[in-house]
Amino acid sequence: MKVKVVTNILKANTRIAEENRRVLHERGITTINLMSSPGAGKTTLLARTIRDLGARIRFGVIEGDIQGTHDAEVIAALGVPVIQINTAGGCHLDANMVQSVLPELPLESIDLLVIENVGNLVCPAEFDLGEDAKVMLLSITEGDDKPLKYPRMFRECEALLVNKVDLAPHLDVSLEKIRVDALGLNPALQVFEVSARGGQGLDAWYAWLEGKLKH
Amino acid sequence: MHELSIALSVLDIVRTAAAESGLARVTTVRLRIGRASGVQPDSLRFAFDCSTAGTPAEGATLEIEEVPVGGRCDSCEKDFTNPEPYVLACPLCGGTRFRLTTGDELHVLDLEGEP
Repeated sequence: MKVKVVTNILKANTRIAEENRRVLHERGITTINLMSSPGAGKTTLLARTIRDLGARIRFGVIEGDIQGTHDAEVIAALGVPVIQINTAGGCHLDANMVQSVLPELPLESIDLLVIENVGNLVCPAEFDLGEDAKVMLLSITEGDDKPLKYPRMFRECEALLVNKVDLAPHLDVSLEKIRVDALGLNPALQVFEVSARGGQGLDAWYAWLEGKLKH
Repeated sequence: MHELSIALSVLDIVRTAAAESGLARVTTVRLRIGRASGVQPDSLRFAFDCSTAGTPAEGATLEIEEVPVGGRCDSCEKDFTNPEPYVLACPLCGGTRFRLTTGDELHVLDLEGEP
């Protein structure tokens, strides 16, 4: 006996992501899904952004890591509500993991929720979490070949922060190639060249981020 | 890289469909997987075999229909199929503005079994 099914395998994830999006929108929260490879500087960027904008924007953070609470501790030290998700080996966050921790955050007092995904340029791009925008960080020490090697990630994002540009004089890496290849994959991509440590270029990122706020 | 979680989602869908149709045992599950979906058929088969043990789908054959990556180019305005999983430029004219229309499919199509 044959049974027709025709069901999207990711349907369950998409459905939960839509529920997350509805819950967050009802509270006027803007949600960013921040992705990069390990060590690109997601937590450094996030901590710096919170320090610089924390007086104007009420942040909330979900940290996704395979294990440990290092990143959550960095964010908690800034006085921002943060929840750590440990995926125990899982290579990405999914909508269900995010849904399960939302009740632990003080949603009524958050304007901007940043979900720091597991460091990985492959799988996180494929799972909708309920965010308003996917943002990726590429550090120039990773090389200028990354847009063409990980095209899906670059296609899925609205904004790309090219980080650690203060190291450019020490590296054989072309910022121009990164920009041209990334825009070739995704002509609508907003590209910001920044140093999360030194502060260079962050004003344009902050302006973009503030433009995403709902009120 | 995350074929196990995909396999578990497939198993959920299969168990629900089997229960609704009164199948006690599932013998074949047919999937449609796009080449740009990021899912490797061989890894998925392995993960599926591991995760179906002790379920009505234990021992079921996983048939995977792969869908090539296709799109429509904004420059030459033609439909194309790309041999590689990722398209960087239109394979017909080299144009870099195009819309992808196929290749990210991840669907359970149907299943066969016995009551």
